[in-house]
Amino acid sequence: MPHSHTKNRLFPVSLRDFLLFTLILASAVGLCFLLRLADSSDGFASPVFVLAVLLISRFTDGYLFGLLAAVLSVICINYIFTYPYLEFNFTLSGYPLTFLTMLGVSLVTCTMTTKIKEQERLRVESEKEKMRANLLRSVSHDIRTPLTSIVGATSAVLETPGLSKEEQRVFLEDARNEAQWLIRLVENLLSITRIGDENTQIRKEQEAAEEILGEAARKFRKRFPHIQVSVSAPDELLLVPMDAILIEQVLSNLLENAVIHGECTTAIQLSVRREGGKAIFSVRDNGHGIPAKELPRLFDGTLKRSETPSGDGKRNMGLGLSVCMAIVHAHGGTMEAENLSDGAEFVFRLPVSEKESL
Amino acid sequence: MTIREKVLIVEDEKSIAHFISTILSSNGYDPLLARTGAEAMTMLSSHCPDLVILDLGLPDMDGIEVLRSLREWSSLPVVVVSARSHERDKVEALDLGADDYLTKPFGTAELLARVRTAIRHTRTTSPSGEIAQRGTYTVGDLTIDYNKHQVLVRGENVHLTLSEFRIVALLGKYAGRVLSYDYIIKELWGPRAGGNNQILRVNMANIRRKIEKNPAEPEYLFTEVGVGYRLAENEQSV
Repeated sequence: MPHSHTKNRLFPVSLRDFLLFTLILASAVGLCFLLRLADSSDGFASPVFVLAVLLISRFTDGYLFGLLAAVLSVICINYIFTYPYLEFNFTLSGYPLTFLTMLGVSLVTCTMTTKIKEQERLRVESEKEKMRANLLRSVSHDIRTPLTSIVGATSAVLETPGLSKEEQRVFLEDARNEAQWLIRLVENLLSITRIGDENTQIRKEQEAAEEILGEAARKFRKRFPHIQVSVSAPDELLLVPMDAILIEQVLSNLLENAVIHGECTTAIQLSVRREGGKAIFSVRDNGHGIPAKELPRLFDGTLKRSETPSGDGKRNMGLGLSVCMAIVHAHGGTMEAENLSDGAEFVFRLPVSEKESL
Repeated sequence: MTIREKVLIVEDEKSIAHFISTILSSNGYDPLLARTGAEAMTMLSSHCPDLVILDLGLPDMDGIEVLRSLREWSSLPVVVVSARSHERDKVEALDLGADDYLTKPFGTAELLARVRTAIRHTRTTSPSGEIAQRGTYTVGDLTIDYNKHQVLVRGENVHLTLSEFRIVALLGKYAGRVLSYDYIIKELWGPRAGGNNQILRVNMANIRRKIEKNPAEPEYLFTEVGVGYRLAENEQSV
């Protein structure tokens, strides 16, 4: 397994690289033909092809196309652009030198390119590692608060003699609310593990957008029966490739945020529509809107609890939104938020056909 | 004295088993407890429960195995309990003959609704009583007429195509229960239709446009994301 992995990284074959390779070589040949019209000497062919080999080695992955370009270039120079034209002549004096130059250029460039890419990969990985550590720290911190209050509330009920039924009920209700908050936190964390890293693609299937919207709204109504939710979807069935469980998580996070952070939200509009190759999902509420100074940092996960006005209730803000963002990104989509005259709107766009998400 | 229905709870977590059995016994059921798969197997044959609530994660064996061997000799209703993100486990359990599932964490109301539905379906031996007696199934404004092959909304025929009618008829037969995508596809288009969910999605969308006021806010045809579809249950017959 590790062997074939290395081999694939050194000699990967992709359509993009193949097209690039063909295009650059064809341009080199074309350029040489033009130059030959202007000037009948053969001197220009070699530098033009050296440049072509350099470009191909730089802009394709691995060694395959670079080396191939070197060999082909030598053949082109020898066969087409050196006297006798359209005939091979391997006895030419400079010939081995040209061949070695080409090979050298290709090898050096390919090695450098591969190394740069490897370094970039390591950098991204260490950044991800850092993000993971940060997440773990903030989550552990967030879990402690509700746990403390659950332990506190249940201990109060168990250990305080003479507590009235009503007082007991209040304590137990607190404990239940905190536990439910923890459940939602864990669901979000599980979603992150489901996205995995860049190497494991999420499992997408063609899903009817209206079904996911309807289901998210139905579950939301069970939890917040006093909030009005209206759902609208286009008449024409809109199929979107997605991991339905994850997109449902995005919608329920956004719905929940609309209530908790909108503060005075009484109605939410959930909608999906198609625009070109994208499905546009929107969650609009009539709450307070997003504080202006938070808006630009909303999605980067750097928002801390202490920076949001009403402390405790806000603790889920950062995580819920970064999970939404991560899920939408994993689908090849984009996400944004804005304040409207009466509330806030969160929008995310997913590509409708598989091709556009690549 | 009324006879209380026996419910076997197969769950290794003490506190979860405790709360399920408390809720069930205070709602007129007679709960039994098994902590392991092996214990469950012996209790199934010695106690003959009316319903099994089966957690899929057991210490000694996979809950799926318990289900598999139970289904070799009994059709007694089984409700499996599993976590949200394990939708493949749920589908597997449904396809192996589980009657329904509960997603952890669940509340009292959900637990009781699932238990009621599962028990009712055995008592009336599916298809449900109304279908057997009158050849129709009614929920809210929706009526499925099995004799005339029609679906009526507020008394009006909504003109479903043949496939559409067969989907609704199938869901109606098991109203209140989730039918997995694969199960519906196999029932409609045969075992070799394969996992092409798209035909099913398109048919469902068409049906919803014919019977629901707002297809995005269904009153009758519910989606269980990642698992299957469920037709609303007629609550009067509870």
